[in-house]
Amino acid sequence: MASRIKDFKKNRQKLADLEEKLKRALADYDNLEKRILGQREALSNLAKIEILDKFIAVLDDLERAEKHLRNKGLSMAVSQFRAVLTSEGVREVKAKGEIFDPETMDCVGMVEGEKNLVINPVQKGYLLNGRVIRPAKVEVGQGKKMIS
Amino acid sequence: MSKIIGIDLGTTNSCVAVMEGGKPKVIPTAEGENLIPSVVEPVKKLVGRVAKRQQILNPDNTVYSIKRLMGRKIDDPMVKKAQEMVSYEIVKGKEEMAVALIGGKEYTPQEISARILQKAKSDAEAYLGEKVEQAVITVPAYFDDAQRQATKQAGEIAGLKVERIINEPTAASLAYGLDKKKNETVAVYDLGGGTFDVSVLEIGDGVFEVKATNGDTFLGGDDFDQEIINFIAQEFKKEQGIDLKKDKQALQRIRDAAEKAKIELSSATETEINQPFITQGKDGNPLHLTMKLTRAKLEELVDELIQQTMKPVKECLKDAKIGPSDIDEVVLVGGQTRMPKIQALVKEYFGKEPNKSVNPDEVVAIGAAVQGGVLAGEVSDILLLDVTPLTLGVETLGGVRTPLIERNSTVPTSKSQIFSTASDSQSQVEINVLQGERPMAVDNKSLGRFILDGIPPAPRGIPQIEVAFDIDSNGILNVSAKDKATNKEQKITIKNATHLTEEEVEQMKKEAEKHAEEDKTKKEMADARNQADALMISAEKTLKEGGDKVKKEDKEKIEAEIKKVKEILSKDEVKKEEIEKAANNLSEELQKVGAAMYAAQQSDQPAGDQPQNTAADKNSGETATEKEKAGEDKSKAEEGEVVE
Repeated sequence: MASRIKDFKKNRQKLADLEEKLKRALADYDNLEKRILGQREALSNLAKIEILDKFIAVLDDLERAEKHLRNKGLSMAVSQFRAVLTSEGVREVKAKGEIFDPETMDCVGMVEGEKNLVINPVQKGYLLNGRVIRPAKVEVGQGKKMIS
Repeated sequence: MSKIIGIDLGTTNSCVAVMEGGKPKVIPTAEGENLIPSVVEPVKKLVGRVAKRQQILNPDNTVYSIKRLMGRKIDDPMVKKAQEMVSYEIVKGKEEMAVALIGGKEYTPQEISARILQKAKSDAEAYLGEKVEQAVITVPAYFDDAQRQATKQAGEIAGLKVERIINEPTAASLAYGLDKKKNETVAVYDLGGGTFDVSVLEIGDGVFEVKATNGDTFLGGDDFDQEIINFIAQEFKKEQGIDLKKDKQALQRIRDAAEKAKIELSSATETEINQPFITQGKDGNPLHLTMKLTRAKLEELVDELIQQTMKPVKECLKDAKIGPSDIDEVVLVGGQTRMPKIQALVKEYFGKEPNKSVNPDEVVAIGAAVQGGVLAGEVSDILLLDVTPLTLGVETLGGVRTPLIERNSTVPTSKSQIFSTASDSQSQVEINVLQGERPMAVDNKSLGRFILDGIPPAPRGIPQIEVAFDIDSNGILNVSAKDKATNKEQKITIKNATHLTEEEVEQMKKEAEKHAEEDKTKKEMADARNQADALMISAEKTLKEGGDKVKKEDKEKIEAEIKKVKEILSKDEVKKEEIEKAANNLSEELQKVGAAMYAAQQSDQPAGDQPQNTAADKNSGETATEKEKAGEDKSKAEEGEVVE
């Protein structure tokens, strides 16, 4: 009899353990499902950002070429490239003359000019649906130095 | 029970991970990166990437490398060195401790670190969707009591109960599961962004003991980047006579390009650095930076830096009173250890392959998460789920293996797919259950077969046979086939579908690899045959349905092509290209008829010759190459055509 009671107790404990494990597994799964649902868009955005970042580096070079060569055909091709990016939801970070914002800009230097304003955009920055593909690299005004 | 996160609180970067479903997972930041730069602007409350971006603009108020001050007094030599290096002010705080002076206010290293930990906490909460209140934080093995205490306080300020402080090399070993082995001596080589550490640990019964540590607190991946930048600038100056380092904009571009090249050369042996319009020549013409950098050249550039790491390694072994051959396992930590030359050097010195499969930027955080999982009781609680070691599938038309359940699927699982018949009025189908990785049915192991009969007569492709695979948690596979029209069903139960010995699985995988090339050819052959067969049947159908709308000579041409395809398919020895060629010819003829039938429909005239030929010519023009190849077969067919 005593051994039966012991068995019973052991089994009851095992049942409780298993129930706990099952609940945990179901909860983990449930959470995972919710997160996947919530992050699906974010993930597809991230995947897009990765590839857009590479394309944008090429656009930089094309724009530099455009600036130097002043070729009409090249300009057309560049603006087509830009139009495609825009249609995918890519927006340029407004930098010149704006107040420096570390969320979308990366300060690479200080120059003469009004304090905290972007004086000289060094490299354009881009956003995809509000997420930074890459920040705008900018030089920021250091303000007039007071002589004490 | 809430999760315990693992945090690698680094000098340059920090990283957070957590155990999920028994596996460690790195938690991405709100910015979508796996690492948090250990940079804080306490006045505007900026942390991580955002703080780093405004560092140049705001050098006095931006705190970085705070770990160098952690729990140290102001007269500590390390603090003196840091003072020379950083751009913010370091002053004496309470009890002679070093603190950062920002905007007239003193911030202890604990407070600054707490900002980073707070971000780690809130990113983890956003990711997990639940409150996080406990953490395991890592520190260098050489941290003394005061430094460990300070790290713990930082956690508490951030609202985290620090369940344990563990050593970084211990965490790295945990990430590789080295604690499960018995009595081993482990060397951990950690080359991060700004510091180098080497440690020797002894593991016995899950207990880690640090035997010795050494390192160079001012040597890291950033120094490697600098060497590349110098080289690029020098080369450009030699060629063009212009110093790019004086041009801030150009320098920024070289900096990015140098880091990119360094990363690429870890996997490639050569990379190209292309920066068009980098600057202007003296004549005002644009100049481009374009150069090749080989892995060998990179290794030459940074050779001195790499050799510098070996001195602390030797010292460390000396302190531990052991030789290189006494080390059982070597673990690589830090992004710079991705460099093949470093891996080779470490391998050569210790005489064994280092552990490097876990991302070296994340390995410490992952180990901390594993420790967190153990503390939360989660790791021992994992329900071990079985996986199917090999792919399960059925045989389909042409002896092709069609997979239903891919290998490494976690069981229990089930999958179903609709199949059909291969010929008209077929009354039964045979289901051949296959296990293995080879694309052709015969090369796989047949687990069993059965027949589903009584399918009502119908043209091929019309009946719907649902084949369902179901593996329960005991590895028992149930396969059923059901005719959707009659609901007639047949099934088979196969025991031990997932239970193969490891050797069997390895053997089958090896076979698959060995035969990959020839299997591909066979599969392509079968596909080509199936396609040609399907095309032939569709051509016959078109002729039948088209009736007298198809001109007699067209009909004859198509019939001739069908015959050719049939002949080729009936041969045993035939090349894939031959089948494709015949099928192509047939397809072209068929398209002409199709076009003609449409033209006939649109025009009032009964099937005028002119439009038909125009369509045909257009078609043949587009597929000129194929036509050339098929010249011999085509010449006969073209005789009847009007050529413009």
